[in-house]
Amino acid sequence: MPPPVAPPPPVAPPLPAPLAPPLAPPVRGPSAVVEVEHASRWYGNVVAVNDISFAVGPGVTGLLGPNGAGKTTLLHMAAGLLAPSAGEVRVGGQQTWRNPGIYRQVGLVPEREAVYPFLTGREFALVNAREHGLADPDAAAERAIDLVDLADAADRRIGTYSKGMRQRIKMAAALVHDPPVLILDEPFNGMDPRQRLHMFELLQRMADEGRTVLLSSHILEEVERIAASVLVIYAGRLAASGDFRSIRRLMTDRPHEFFVRSSDDRRLGSVLLTEQSVFGVELDPKGLLVRTSDFGRFTRRMPQVAREAGIRLLELTPTDDSLESVFAYLVGR
Amino acid sequence: MTASGSGGSIYDLGYRGYEGPRLGRGAAVAALLTHSVRTAYGLGRSARSKVMPVGLVLLAVLPSLLALGIIALVAQIGPAGEAIEAISPIRYSTLFPFIAVLVFLFSASQAPELFGRDQRAGVLPLYFSRATSRLDYAGARTLGLLVSLLVLVLSPQLLLLVGRVLVAADPVAGLAEELPELPALLVVGLLVVTLVGTVSSATAALTPRRSYATVAIIGIFLIPNIASALLVELETGLLGQMAVLLSPADVLDGVNAYFFGVSPDNQTVAQAGLPGWSYPVAAGAWIIGSLAVLARRYQRIEA
Amino acid sequence: MIRAMPIVALTLRSLVDRRRFWLMVLLAAVPVLMAIVSSAFGGDLFSRRIFDQLIVRTVLPLIALVFGTAALGTELEDGTIVFLLTKPIRRFRIVLAKGVVAAGLTAALIVPATVLTGLVATSQHASLVSSTVAYAMAAAVGGTAYALGFLALSSFTSRALAIGLGYVLLWEGVLSGLFEGTRVFSVRQATLGLAEMLQRGDDADRTIGGLTSVVVLGVVIVGSLALATWRLSRYQLRGGD
Repeated sequence: MPPPVAPPPPVAPPLPAPLAPPLAPPVRGPSAVVEVEHASRWYGNVVAVNDISFAVGPGVTGLLGPNGAGKTTLLHMAAGLLAPSAGEVRVGGQQTWRNPGIYRQVGLVPEREAVYPFLTGREFALVNAREHGLADPDAAAERAIDLVDLADAADRRIGTYSKGMRQRIKMAAALVHDPPVLILDEPFNGMDPRQRLHMFELLQRMADEGRTVLLSSHILEEVERIAASVLVIYAGRLAASGDFRSIRRLMTDRPHEFFVRSSDDRRLGSVLLTEQSVFGVELDPKGLLVRTSDFGRFTRRMPQVAREAGIRLLELTPTDDSLESVFAYLVGR
Repeated sequence: MTASGSGGSIYDLGYRGYEGPRLGRGAAVAALLTHSVRTAYGLGRSARSKVMPVGLVLLAVLPSLLALGIIALVAQIGPAGEAIEAISPIRYSTLFPFIAVLVFLFSASQAPELFGRDQRAGVLPLYFSRATSRLDYAGARTLGLLVSLLVLVLSPQLLLLVGRVLVAADPVAGLAEELPELPALLVVGLLVVTLVGTVSSATAALTPRRSYATVAIIGIFLIPNIASALLVELETGLLGQMAVLLSPADVLDGVNAYFFGVSPDNQTVAQAGLPGWSYPVAAGAWIIGSLAVLARRYQRIEA
Repeated sequence: MIRAMPIVALTLRSLVDRRRFWLMVLLAAVPVLMAIVSSAFGGDLFSRRIFDQLIVRTVLPLIALVFGTAALGTELEDGTIVFLLTKPIRRFRIVLAKGVVAAGLTAALIVPATVLTGLVATSQHASLVSSTVAYAMAAAVGGTAYALGFLALSSFTSRALAIGLGYVLLWEGVLSGLFEGTRVFSVRQATLGLAEMLQRGDDADRTIGGLTSVVVLGVVIVGSLALATWRLSRYQLRGGD
């Protein structure tokens, strides 16, 4: 006699409702906030960024997406280095494009490896400090160099630096004026695990001090580790935003498709159709394609169903498990 | 087909190695040669990269077109017109010096593109690990520049020749009349192209920064030219003669005068008092020297 | 302006720190050497030609071309411009800082070269003192015009060096000589005209008067700064993405 079961939970709709923006409403004032409002950027026929809106406040926000998704384009617009073809991009309430004044509030760590190879690390930090018009450029430069842990290499020419060291000196240049907003484009590129750890700690500390840190990456684990909230961008569109864990859950709560091979596919198929978590079954010459809306429930019920029907399961494989299909689904294709 | 083990599987994505025939060194060099010529004229790239080379070629054929215009008019006027034609400044023997600046500019602009880009992008290891050896690469690139320059240098001459034949009362007789000029034309053309091409290639190969190379190439053709002009005018004798031979631009003027059998327009060369054959010999020395520099550079370059 | 001062130092450092600088010094030394050789062989007629032909027509534009295109051009080509653009500095100040260095270095090389050449020549011919001063001053102003013009050009195209060479050799060298009316579009002619005016010479073979020369040079200088500023303030940095 089967134990009493709780009433079945409401059937999850095939497509989840679009995520409401979970971030706080924009805060005006010196604690600068990055606002992107219906921003698009196209180059002729190619749309790099497609009608993206979000607002980012204090804390670490990760911009996640595969290569070519438009992360750098978006970050460059936020940093005032690119004009949006449509829409507005603001930092601290001010437009970023053609507004050099915002750089008092913003520090950018660009992705490109461009450096002045003939300057030493210290001189580079110093030049940046002076260009910001800081009251005590020497002290600021020293502080920035210590923050990125480059004190021993600071007197060597940047031309002799390794890739990870160059990333760090670029970081120092971005931090030298103590900006409330930090924008970093693929900051962990070329760093070894120890340097990456150090960078995580640094960024976390920045965020704890109340700064807005917006960084981009295509590596899930990095973003997972450091970012409290995440913006997922795919093919120029904003695919998801918000708390990382809830997005993760939503990604697993999406419809899934499985390929099943068994000792009696046809009978298994008809039995599965009676299951609540299954909303589609397709008979394929090689096996069964099962579509389910409730991943967790299905994986629990599947072996039970098979045993009850006396069917032997030979193969069970997810067919759409890639990040691409997740993104594609999230963007609503 | 899938290879599976206990822990993981390797999927057959259809990747195949290439088992077919490989064309070998000659084809590789030919491909690089074609690519170099295309690069020199900006073919297969944006319009911007075509501006300099194509613009220069157009400017180079301009005098020939003008000359053809004059000749056509003259043919109408008749015998009095022939006197005009005789003093027309645009003839086979004067064309090379006329367009010399264009040739220098072309190679100063394009040679760095051919040699500097690969150095800058660090792709030389890729080239050297193919069928082409280091010298093959250098040779193919240089030859590419030479071919490109040949188009620039011979177009005006050939245009003039063809035009004159067509304008003549009797084309066949006209052709017979122009043909004697052809050998000189070709020899001078080849020498000009080879000298300018090899000197530019050697210079461009020495540095990955294209702007350095451009300035250096122009400098090599311009500065000694002025120096030799001064020294010859001062009648310094041997010093002036050495200066003339050390100036590639002057050497080319001398070569032009020698093969066409005319007295040089260039005052410096006219006054220097060097025997006619010294110029082709000097040209040969410049060419060999440049090739040596080029070879040494690519043998020793880090890749 | 104080925030732009480090840009002056930075640009200066980047231009002087290289082989390129010493090559330019060598180039500037050529007229002096020629003057020495010339006077050694007793030829004093050539000093005037040295000023005109060698210095103004060849050495001056070449040096200005190299410094003018490198001052801004290398930053744009290498991508280090991003470090200047992400500072709260008005774009005009950035352009001015770089322009000062380019023009300054050009003048710093060409003026001593002209003066030394003149000094060597004057040992033969006393009346050349006024010529020397005139040409030195004109070269400084003309060099500034050239350098700034090439700097503006480099903000539009990465091929500024080749195009600038084309301008000097083809336009100024040949074409503008063919059509009298186009002489106002030549920095070279303006420089020569200015030199003529300054030495109150009686060589009237210039069709550009002194006043016109000043205007032309002024227009080039101001226009170049304006153009470069306009271009830099709209400069967009695409990503690799």
